[in-house]
This record gives sequence, structure tokens and C-alpha cells, in this order.
Amino acid sequence: MRAGLATAAVAPAATAIWAMTRLGNGSLPETAEVMWVAALDLGFVFRAGPFALLMTTIVSGIGALVFVYATGYFAPGAPAGVRFPVSLLAFSCSMLGLVLADSVWTLFIFWELTSITSFLLVGHKHESDAVQVAARRALMITGTGGLALLAGLMVLSQQVGSPLLSDLEPVGGAAGIVAALLILAGAATKSAQVPFHVWLPGAMAAPTPVSAYLHSATMVKAGILLMAVTGSAFADVAAWKVVGFVLGSASMLWGGIGALRHRDAKLILAWGTISQLGLLVTLLALGSGKAVFAAASILVAHALFKATLFLVVGEIDIRTGTRNIDDLGGLYRSMPLATGAALLAGLSMAGAPPLLGFVAKEAAIEATLGLAGFERVAALSVVVLGSVLTVAYTTRFLWTVFGPGPATTVASRRLAMTMPAAVLAIAGVAGFVALGWVNDIIVPAASELNAEAASYLLIAWPGLKTAFVISMGILAAGTVLGGLASRRNGAAPAPIGADQADRGLDGVLVFGRIVTARVQHGSLPVYLATMAATVSLAATPFLFDLSFAHLIWWDQPIQMVLAVAIAASAFMGVFVNSRIGAALTLGAVGIAASGLFLVHGAPDLALTQLLVETIIVVGFVIGLGHLGRSFPAVNDGWRNTRIVISVAGALAVMAGLIATTANPSGTAPIPELVEGAVNDGGGNNVVNVILTDTRALDTLGEVVVLATVALGILALAKTRTTPAEELAEVAS
Amino acid sequence: MIASRSPVAQLGIRAASPLAILAATYLLFAGHNQPGGGFAAGLVLGAVVALRTVVALQRPTHSTGLIAGGVGLVCATAVTTLIWGNALLDQQVVSITAPVLGKIKTGTALPFDIGVTAIVVGLVVALLDGLGAADLATSRPLRGGRFTRNQTSKDNVTP
Repeated sequence: MRAGLATAAVAPAATAIWAMTRLGNGSLPETAEVMWVAALDLGFVFRAGPFALLMTTIVSGIGALVFVYATGYFAPGAPAGVRFPVSLLAFSCSMLGLVLADSVWTLFIFWELTSITSFLLVGHKHESDAVQVAARRALMITGTGGLALLAGLMVLSQQVGSPLLSDLEPVGGAAGIVAALLILAGAATKSAQVPFHVWLPGAMAAPTPVSAYLHSATMVKAGILLMAVTGSAFADVAAWKVVGFVLGSASMLWGGIGALRHRDAKLILAWGTISQLGLLVTLLALGSGKAVFAAASILVAHALFKATLFLVVGEIDIRTGTRNIDDLGGLYRSMPLATGAALLAGLSMAGAPPLLGFVAKEAAIEATLGLAGFERVAALSVVVLGSVLTVAYTTRFLWTVFGPGPATTVASRRLAMTMPAAVLAIAGVAGFVALGWVNDIIVPAASELNAEAASYLLIAWPGLKTAFVISMGILAAGTVLGGLASRRNGAAPAPIGADQADRGLDGVLVFGRIVTARVQHGSLPVYLATMAATVSLAATPFLFDLSFAHLIWWDQPIQMVLAVAIAASAFMGVFVNSRIGAALTLGAVGIAASGLFLVHGAPDLALTQLLVETIIVVGFVIGLGHLGRSFPAVNDGWRNTRIVISVAGALAVMAGLIATTANPSGTAPIPELVEGAVNDGGGNNVVNVILTDTRALDTLGEVVVLATVALGILALAKTRTTPAEELAEVAS
Repeated sequence: MIASRSPVAQLGIRAASPLAILAATYLLFAGHNQPGGGFAAGLVLGAVVALRTVVALQRPTHSTGLIAGGVGLVCATAVTTLIWGNALLDQQVVSITAPVLGKIKTGTALPFDIGVTAIVVGLVVALLDGLGAADLATSRPLRGGRFTRNQTSKDNVTP
């Protein structure tokens, strides 16, 4: 596994280097496009603009470091296997596709791919029940959000008239509100916003490299990315601002409180992520140039410090065997390198100078100060409160784990785990030192999202301005609160909401079983009667459309002979009492019908019909072995009902045929199809060229249906219980 | 079992099987210009499988493998056409001049058709297994002509 991880690290590392060489040098965005259904305008469209390149650097750069880290995380004796490296690399590719996507359809496909690959990664230790439940919860919540997103993207692209994100323009009206709410739902589920956040703490069941990668820098940022790239379309939609602001503020505060309650270091970080994502959602919902600029800065800073902290916690977990902060202490003596990395990252998270997190937080406070009226008061108070909580849980985490006290005994250092954390932590300092270079990258990226953002810069030393004073106030208040909180001892708090979400999911499954037991009663005659009755009812409009003028007796007399044979066989089938006899008469009906096709000049159809009939008869012979020789007796009432429904079904089909042949809509495009088949498809059998070339996509769909049916038959043969019996089993 | 009662049927089906497979191969290749094609070829092979099941001769049993292979081949062909820069499933025609056979016209439609054939055969095998074909090989006919596996006839439940 470790060799696989090391090999897999090469791909993201190369991507990150490519993206970095193009960062901030003002080169024109590169685009790439692969159309796969030209008729539907469906294609993979990618565009590497400044913002996409920034995200690519984060996704691939942290990805490469996480791969290196994982070679240390999995001990030399860990079971071999390619599942983990392959899943992680697949996730990395999906995320890359997501950040580079320029078409809403491309974006959606990669969005769903990240949900699926993260399901595989969260469920890596799938032997445990708790892990299974957590992985399912994450998949169901993000998957449901994905459906909302698809609907939202449809409405949006319909309104704008182009699926390209680079063509987005402001939308308004009811459609704008619907699109905004649906896209917000997608973003909120993916970025773990209250009340959809319950999957994120559960997802901490994943191996730590996964959490460091998915739950700090990449997957949970997908929702933020979505809001960032679509935000320009909703500049005039009030619902976008209000709902986004409420979601973001609630998550920021509730996430901060959660991080103060929990005692598992990894959960503290997860709840902190919810809080930080809440801040980003709040800023993007505000949507002003300054707010978008602040969001882009925090996005970068957060990716650096949160990934570092996760990596350090993973190292602590491996070297001490625990993540509970009550059992940890004094690690500054036994793990000095990790302590240094955690301290740099933690201070950056708290927003203390001289680190990248400080200037980003300053920008956020500046952005809220730049608002007016009620908006200003609400946004400023939420950001300040959230930041105080952030400082508090950071202080509590750093103090209890690394601060004074009896040092926890630790195993020897694994260099592969320490180095990536150190690199990311130093990047946070370097970002502050080389702030001019950071500005060169962030300013074009942010101004791509919102043109007004071009006029702002990150400032290392703003002087004694309001924002700086507020920052210092936040740090002081947060440190006091964190100091108080770290004295508090107690049991791990019960998770709120996660169990309810799981019960809701179970409820859906039980509801599905109840409906299935009702509808799928297992009686074939009743199924057939239901279908025939439905067809008869559906055909009633044809009755008003009947005309018999176009009917002739036959084209060729042989057709009459075949028709009589069909009718005779069908009648025999009704009156014959043995099952084998009924099967044979049905076969006769089919074979005579294939004769009709042949007379009509459709040898392909006749051949297929003949072969199908043969297989059906043989299938009957095998299947009837399990049943009695003759049909069981039925009571008169049910027999009469069946007769009425059958006759009605037959009449309905007849009426439908007569009515539709009387009013053909246009002429059949036969010459075009023949010409296309011979010239384009290179074949003289027009039917087959249509099947394999002209309409091959339909055939593809049909054979997939066939394959699904076959798998369904296999599953059905295995269970041998009816849905009602299954429900009874579940209930007991 | 039919095999134990009718050696003639067993022998006949055994003798006919290679011919039917030949016929299926012909249908598969002829499909582009004459009646036939992947679906018909699959049905011929399916009929062979079904008949061989009835008389307890060897037959393919890995329906999932056939189905997965077929779907995989069909999808792979679909994606491969993108290489020529055309839309999904815009099939390419290739003409080859072979020594004995003369000019052969073929293309990406052929693997597509082979995939369809595999799926149809897989479906028939699955159907036979679903109908309890595996039990057929082991069960003995009773005097009344019913097989030993007793099952309530669920298809005739009156409501």
C-alpha cells in the first residue's frame, strides 16, 4: 500500500507544479473541451482561470502532501491493498475536475463523483458498524443536496441561456429565487452547513489522511466553490443573501460551540471546520467585492492551517494511541516538531499576527465594516462572535494537548507524517512574509468572481484602525473563554442531530418496504390485469378518433391465413387446461406473428420474434417443472373480471391501432434513414445500422436495461420471499 | 429429466449446437448488410443454452460475468469513438483487404454488437437460473411428471 501511495503522490505533485507556474503571471486562461453528445450540447468543458488555478494548487498541492503523509500513517505492517490509494487518487481527480469545470454539467458530474469517492474513503474501515452508518449518512445527505443542485443548475442555465459558468449573468424573478435556493441547498449539504452538518463529525471515522484532505481543504470547500462561481448570477436575488447569511451565521456559531463541547481532538477540528465554512458562506452570501475578496483569502488560509492541524492530530493519534484531549498533555516536550507546526497553524486559525490567517481575518472584518445599516450590525456581530469562539476552541485545543502538564508517552517519530504538516505550517508564515506575492495570486482570483474585488489588497500591518482593534479584542476575549473552557472536565457530549438523521433515513427505507409490500403483492394475474386495465383506460381518447375508411382486408391473401392462425391459437390458449398446452399455443401465436412480419418485408423483425418465441417456450418447459400440470380452479367472479379486462385490453389495442393508422403525423423519414445508413454507417441493413450507429445511444440504454433486468432476475431468484414476508421479518 | 427419457433429444441438441453457434457467428457478421445482428446472434446462442439446459448438457453458468463483460464492451466502444473526435457512438467503418477472404468491411459497430450478444446470452442464462435450471440437473422426475422441489404456485393466487 505504501508504494502505491508514494506512486500516486506523483500525479497531484505534477499538477500542483503546473498550476503554480501559471499562478499570478497574468497568462490567458487555458480551456479544453470534449463534446460527447453534440446534439444535446453535452460536453466536458474546462477552463483554468485565476480562481480555478488557485484551487488547483490547493487541491493538488495538499493532495501530494497527504499522499506522502499516508505512507507514514499506514504502518509498515498494514495490510496490503490498492483500494485506499486508488480511491484517494480518484477523489483527487474528481476534485480537480470540479475546480476546473466551466460547464454546469461538468461541474455536476464531478460534484457527484466527489460524493461517491468520499463515501468509499469515509467507509474505508468498513468492518465497523459505526463507520458504515457514518459513510451512509454522508452519502445520503450530500447525494440529496446533489439532486437539488442538479435542479438548480438546470434552472440557472435555462435562464442564462448557456451552460457555461464563464457566460453567467445576473438572473432575477421567481426562477432566480428557485435557482438560488436549490444551489444553496447543494452548497449547504456539501459544505456541512447547519442543519445539514451532521454528516461531517461522523465522517471523522475516516482515516486521518482522508479527513485532512477531504474535510479541510477540498470536498467541504466544494460548496464554497459553488457559491463563489455562481454568486455573480445571484447578485440581485435577496433570497440568496438572506438564506445564505442565516445558514452561514448559524453554522459559524453552532460549529464554534460544538468545537468547545467535544473532547475528541479530531471532532474539535471537524466542528471548527463547520464554523469556518459558515464564515465563508456568510461572506459569499453578502457578495460585495470586499466580502468575496475576504472569502478567497480565508479559503487559502483555512486550507493551509486546517490541513496542518488534521495532520498533526493524526500523528498524535498514531504515536499516543488516543485523540481524547483529557488523556493528552505536555506534548511540547515529547513532540516538539509537531507542536511547532500545530502552534503556527493554530495561531493562524485564531487570526493572530504575523500569519496568513490574521490578514485574512482582518479582511473579513473590514468587509463587514464596509457594509451599511442593519446588514453591518448583523454581519459584524456574527463575525466577531464566531471569531471569539474560534479563538476559544483553538486556545483550549492547543493548551490541553501541548501545554504544561505530565507529558503523554509517545512512540517514535515518523518523518513522513511530520514533514507534510511542517511544510503546510511554514507556508502559513511564508504567506504573511511574502504578502505581495500572495496578493498577486488572490487579487486576480477574487476579481474573477467579483470585478469589484480588484481594488483590494491584503495588508500586513494596517495600523491602529478599527479592524485591528476589533481583532485584538477578539483575541483577548477568545483566549479568556478558551482558558475557562479548558478547565472544564466531563464526559464526551452526545451528538445532536446525527441519530435523528439516521432514523429519518431508516424511516425512508421502511416506508419503501411498506409501499413495496402493498404494490408488489406477488400475484402475476393481478399484475397483468392491472396493466391491461390501465391500457384500456389510456386508450379511451382513441375511441373518439375512430374511422374505418382506410382499412383494407389484406395486402396479400397469405396475411389472412396467418391472422386466422393467430386467432385460432389464441382461442385455443384460452380454453386449454394444461399449462404446457397453453405455453405451446402462445408459441404458435408468436410464430404466426413472425410470419406476418416476414410477409411485410421485415426479415429482421421476423427472425428476432422467432428466436424469442423459441427461448420463451423452452423457458416455459423449464419453469413449468415447478408448477402443477394444469391451472388451478378460480372462482367465477374473478374469472369474469379477468375476461372483461382481457377483452377490454384487446379492444383498446385495436382501437389504438385503427385510430393511429388513420391519422399518420407526417411521412416517415425513410429515404433519409436509408441514405444515412448506406453512406454514413456503411451497411445495407438499415434496421441494424439504426441500432448500432444512427441511434446507438438508444441501443446502449436498452442493453443496460437488459443487463439490469438480468441482475434483477438473479436477485429475485435468490431471495425467494415476497416483499410482504420481508416486511414481516423486518418488523419482527 | 428429459435427458434420461429421451436420449434422442439429447443427442440431437448436442449435434446441433456447433451448427447453431456457427449460425450465430454468421448472423453477428452478416448483421450490417443482411438480416441478423448482435441481438439475433445472442438469441440463437441463448436458444442453444436453453435447449442444452433442458437436456442437462454443459452450458455457460456465469451470467454476471457475461453481462458485466457485455456492458463493459459496449461502454468501451461507446467511449472509444470519442478518440476520432466524433460524438459518442459515432461508429467508424474500416475496410481491410485480407489474403483469402478478399475485402472485408468492418468497424467499431462489431465490438458493440459482440457486447450486445454477450448481454443477451447473459440475460438468458440468468433467466434459466431464475427459473430454477440449476435444480433441473439434479432433480428426478416423479410419476406424475412433477419435479421433487415443491413450491407453492404463487402465480395463481386469487385475490
